[in-house]
Amino acid sequence: MRSRDRDRSFLLSIYSIVLLHSLALSASEYLISYRYTVKDAILYNETLSISHAMKKCDEKNTFTKEELVLENGGITNLQTIISKNTNEFIDYIHKLGMHIQHKDLTVNLQNASTTVLTLKTSCFKVDFNDTFVRIVPLK
Amino acid sequence: MKYALLFIVLIGVYSLFAGNANKEKYENSQVSNEDTQTAISPSQTDAEEKVLTENKTIRISAVGQGVAPVNTISPAQAYALAKRAAIADAYRIIAEKVKGVRVDGQDLVKNMMVQRSTVRTSVQAMIKNANIVETNFKDGLCEVEIEIVLSYSQFIQ
Repeated sequence: MRSRDRDRSFLLSIYSIVLLHSLALSASEYLISYRYTVKDAILYNETLSISHAMKKCDEKNTFTKEELVLENGGITNLQTIISKNTNEFIDYIHKLGMHIQHKDLTVNLQNASTTVLTLKTSCFKVDFNDTFVRIVPLK
Repeated sequence: MKYALLFIVLIGVYSLFAGNANKEKYENSQVSNEDTQTAISPSQTDAEEKVLTENKTIRISAVGQGVAPVNTISPAQAYALAKRAAIADAYRIIAEKVKGVRVDGQDLVKNMMVQRSTVRTSVQAMIKNANIVETNFKDGLCEVEIEIVLSYSQFIQ
């Protein structure tokens, strides 16, 4: 038969597990990709895709130095927050690293060029707080 | 006879002076060559200093240019779009400097005449931590200066 003290410690451990799990769940994970094409020095196409991660990302390496903090203004939708701070977010993405692919074709001295900059689909941890949102890349 | 002797002496004196003058001219040209060599040498040493070695970093900068599209709804949009294009161009220049360019050329010659001349260039790279140093926007043309600091260990990866 279990003693009362043992029951108490068992309940405490259950509570702590539930609490830690709920804290972990408050930070959601998002998949973000970004790509834009420049043709003959003119921006041709730009795509920014944001989606909730359906499956948990690998959290082994988080780079807190590379975090971005944005004001949320009471909004909980990441896409809306990013669209309100587009320039900041795109500068941040550039800092993280962009893959560049450039092709140039000259036929009979007439030149045409295409440059594509891509951020491949990456996982980000997003913490929603009262006044700001913290975005941290997971690698 | 006297005049003939005097004439010969004069020719001798003239040739002597002319020889000295040529010698001086030759020496001067030698000196000027040396000067140009010494003038070239500092740039050569600069080029040598730019070699990336262990425990050293190199700062690489590039100026990219971008143009705003014709159908923009406001000057602000034109600026934003031109800036984006300029950033891509600057990234391309940095990638070309660091990684090099692949060049393919093809010329079609028919009846001793060039029918078609084609040059294809391409570059692929991954660029991280690039900083925008300066941005200028004038007459629809945006110029962005970007720099990266490259270390030996990063380059080896």
